Amino acid sequence: MSARRSATRRRTATRCMVLVAAVGAAYSLLPMWWAVVSSLRSPSAIFQNLYPLSSRTLWVSHPTLTNYHTLGADGFIGVAIRNSLISTSGTVLLGLLIAIPAAFAFVVFDSRFMRALFVFVLISFLVPFEAIAIPLGSTFRSLGLENSYLGLILPAVGNGMAIFLLRQFFFGVPIELLEAARSDGASWLRVLRSVYVPLCRPAIVGAATILFVFQWQSFLWPLIIAPAPNFTVAPVALGEFVGEFQVNYGAMLAGAAVTGLLPALVFVGAQSMFNRSLARSGLVG
Amino acid sequence: MEKGGSVAVRNAPVIGARQPRRGVYARRMWIKRLTIVAFVTPAVVMLVLTRLWPTAEAIYDSLFRQSLIGGTSFGGLANYVTVAKDPVFLKGLTVTAIFGLIVNPFQIVLALVFAVVLSERWRGAWFFRTVILFPAGVPSAVAVVIFGIALRPDGPVNGFLHDLGLPSQPFLNSPDQALASIILIVSWIGVGYWVIFLVGGVQDIPTTLYEAAEIDGAGWWKKFFSVTLPLLRRPLLFVLVADTIANALVFAPVQILTQGGPDGSTNLMMYDIYQRAYQQGALNDALAETVMWLIPVILIVAIQFRLLRPNT
Repeated sequence: MSARRSATRRRTATRCMVLVAAVGAAYSLLPMWWAVVSSLRSPSAIFQNLYPLSSRTLWVSHPTLTNYHTLGADGFIGVAIRNSLISTSGTVLLGLLIAIPAAFAFVVFDSRFMRALFVFVLISFLVPFEAIAIPLGSTFRSLGLENSYLGLILPAVGNGMAIFLLRQFFFGVPIELLEAARSDGASWLRVLRSVYVPLCRPAIVGAATILFVFQWQSFLWPLIIAPAPNFTVAPVALGEFVGEFQVNYGAMLAGAAVTGLLPALVFVGAQSMFNRSLARSGLVG
Repeated sequence: MEKGGSVAVRNAPVIGARQPRRGVYARRMWIKRLTIVAFVTPAVVMLVLTRLWPTAEAIYDSLFRQSLIGGTSFGGLANYVTVAKDPVFLKGLTVTAIFGLIVNPFQIVLALVFAVVLSERWRGAWFFRTVILFPAGVPSAVAVVIFGIALRPDGPVNGFLHDLGLPSQPFLNSPDQALASIILIVSWIGVGYWVIFLVGGVQDIPTTLYEAAEIDGAGWWKKFFSVTLPLLRRPLLFVLVADTIANALVFAPVQILTQGGPDGSTNLMMYDIYQRAYQQGALNDALAETVMWLIPVILIVAIQFRLLRPNT
């Protein structure tokens, strides 16, 4: 009797949870879905089918790529997306190149000095970047880094969170493997490359994701350091669309779809690996 | 956090069957030292130059006054007084405080609800988990642009209200609704992001604890308050702190959609600082304002740490 009641109760609870999840999922997906669908309409049709809403609000039966052609022809946002791709891949590559050896050193060469140095890394990662973007901007300008890829990339490559994540993961590598490799005469760099890196791929994917998302979504810093049209990145270019006198909503939504979906795809792809490495980092455990 | 093991390496710098001669040992020590320097220096230098140095410089420069002919002179706290007397700053501070008091609890409660729901074992949970995380990867400028169009007077959100028989709303054009609209926009990204951290925490709670609670006859709510919530303390503290800081620094929606308006109703601190530095050209005042804004934020974060510290 009580068992049956608890079974009923459990079913109700599951139903409630599905409902909550479904509402959350709808709220998460609808804005982007609407943007993508609308970007496939002709520019004049974007604000149609809204009064009243119909199934056609969220579906397009005759998709057209007009807006994407405009986007390509316009040059401005095309260049901006290219700039975003360049600065983001530069950030991921340089960021990993800096973070992986540092994390390795913090794990393998343990000493009081290294521990103090690591505390210092932690402190620097508690400084929120947006808060110091304005003072850093004036320094970078005086160094002549305004309107350059280097100016866009450099502040993003020193990422304390990426180092932290990798370090937590590197701790999981059995010390015997390191000792075996060393006694075979492998150099420290060789140990890192052929023992730690292959064993910690999920953490490296996680660190790459952190670096990627940080740079791809960055808005305030590019606005300050790279205002020239040929160095504008995608988020800034999109923002500038809004201020224009005659807004082409079709092209704007197409730009938003491209800029928005690319990292989301990367993110969802990396999510399972990222979750695993976060769980091991102890950051959330 | 520490897992040990590395101690073994420190105590055994020489690995191998034979005991090497003194010169070899010294050479190895040198190689090791050089390796440490080569591996750690790039990261440390970048962190100093792009994180710590600008922080120190901001504090230092905020004490210097800009003169009209160019150049600066020491002014002590004069910039701070100038900013503190500015009514635009005071209104902005109020707006940002209201924003923070609403947006942080809103996002954390929602993230917690989704994290708990998505960690339960039911068919299809993985699908919803991926979908709800999706906005976390979308750049804020993209979300802002899409919501900016969706919230227009002739946009789809008003179309939806129309279908429900409700009057259309001005949203971003109204001093009463603009801040609430911005809260909804930043939460679209924020909630998904914080769910990631909380789902991990919920899944790490041993199922045996729930089973024990069930044997004691605990219902769903009872289990939530006596098992889930206490064991989520660490990730919750992290999310609370990180969310508070993130929301204290919201900038893109204001810059793109409202420029602080209408009527100063969305003049969040970061936008006011940016405005002061780049539109008014008062860089040193802006630095003073940054310091003045970060001190209360750091204080609030410190209080959160104290109140929620695990094992107290």
